[in-house]
Amino acid sequence: MPRVDLNMEKPLLPQGAELAAPPTRLRVYASLLLALAATLLPWADQIRWLVPDFTFMALLYWNIRAPRLAGLGAAFTLGLITDVARGVLMGLNALAYCAAAFFVLLVQRRLEGFDGPRQTLQLAPILFGKEALVLALGLVMGLGEADWRWLAAGLAAALLWLPLAWLMDRITDRPAIPPQTDLGIRSRP
Amino acid sequence: MSPAPHAPLFVREMGLPARFGLYVLICLFLLALDARYSALSGVRAGLNAMLHPLQMGLAQPWSWLQGAAGFFVTHGDLAAENARLRQQQERLRAGIQDRQALSAENARLRALLAQPPRPGVTPVVGEIMETMPDPFSRKVVINRGAAHGLSAGWPVVDAVGLVGQVTRVYPWTAEVTLLTDRDQGAPVQNLRNGLRIIVSGQGSDTLLEVRFLDMHADLQPGDLLHTSGIDGVYPAGIPVAQVVRVEPPRHTPFARALCRPLGGVGQYRHMAVLKPDPVAPGATVAKHGDPARDPSVKHHAPR
Repeated sequence: MPRVDLNMEKPLLPQGAELAAPPTRLRVYASLLLALAATLLPWADQIRWLVPDFTFMALLYWNIRAPRLAGLGAAFTLGLITDVARGVLMGLNALAYCAAAFFVLLVQRRLEGFDGPRQTLQLAPILFGKEALVLALGLVMGLGEADWRWLAAGLAAALLWLPLAWLMDRITDRPAIPPQTDLGIRSRP
Repeated sequence: MSPAPHAPLFVREMGLPARFGLYVLICLFLLALDARYSALSGVRAGLNAMLHPLQMGLAQPWSWLQGAAGFFVTHGDLAAENARLRQQQERLRAGIQDRQALSAENARLRALLAQPPRPGVTPVVGEIMETMPDPFSRKVVINRGAAHGLSAGWPVVDAVGLVGQVTRVYPWTAEVTLLTDRDQGAPVQNLRNGLRIIVSGQGSDTLLEVRFLDMHADLQPGDLLHTSGIDGVYPAGIPVAQVVRVEPPRHTPFARALCRPLGGVGQYRHMAVLKPDPVAPGATVAKHGDPARDPSVKHHAPR
């Protein structure tokens, strides 16, 4: 009986890139905590308004990659913590976080398949809109003079999304290339 | 997306919009609660207490870094700062000397201003600009003149006593002949017994003399001489001099007394011109001789 020599080097089926292992609970929450710490760093007052909300960016990242682990509930919790840390009304940032997370979760499937630059384009309005929403809510609730420079934090966040997502990928062992992009589009003749 | 390890196959839970609506409601409720009733201060305090160690821990490396950066200040920085401080110290020392001089002057000015007001006169305080370069006369120029309402003939005093007399008035300055000038005299009265004599300068900076003193006049060393006021020039009661020595007559039938002026004649930079009130005593006149308000200026136009 002729022996079929299975060449393990060359698979029978065309294979895409390595699939990403599902991120564990520990990694998600540890990275969120890390981002929270980055936000709470004692930034100088002159650039405070320019520093993006790292907590929020990490939240969106996990909203895209692991919506079951970090969804609306995580957004609400982190928002409340941010409220306390910033000393604003309870629920102000929580509402903004929830709204942003809601929109991200709505289009989560699409965002998951995108690579960095496309994600940035999709997320920029959300990152910017969150800052605007916080300011607008503060105005509505009568918190006094709004410092409109804080809107720049949203733009800074959009600019920083690419390196930050890359960093989170590295931290959480995600393969460099999103698998679906290669399989779905480019490999077809 | 890959589901979490233990997620059920068919998820029975609220849809995304419903959950979102729920969270929004909770948030709005919290907002209202916090804004209107500030009912969440306890919750906030608790959460903050949990966050505080984290924040402190995050801030700590920064302060360590700053401390380390401060430790490695280069020698050059220190040397430069040392030199700068040295210069500053020199400047400050000069400033302190200035300040001492200023405070002494200030004290004298205060004394000048705090003199008990004499009836019928208003003091006009002036500053000596220069002394006349004349070895035979004792004259100074002060920075008050006809524009300030001065007129020739008015007495000039300092904080203690009579200093001289205004002898010439210019538009903005006035010439004051000091008491020690040879041609200057003042009618005085011995405070002890009321003896009226005339004290005049003798050209010395420190001594006055009483010429033509009656050889039997009762004048002793230590007597205080005040203006008598009978000449109509000097108001009565201004301290003028203290008798130092009484010389018996030698070649003339008159005795002679030497006195020490009480006022700091030629010592200070500020003196007060006693301006007689043009109207009835007690009426208020502009203290520094505001020409716009002072009617006496017209009569004493510059010569």
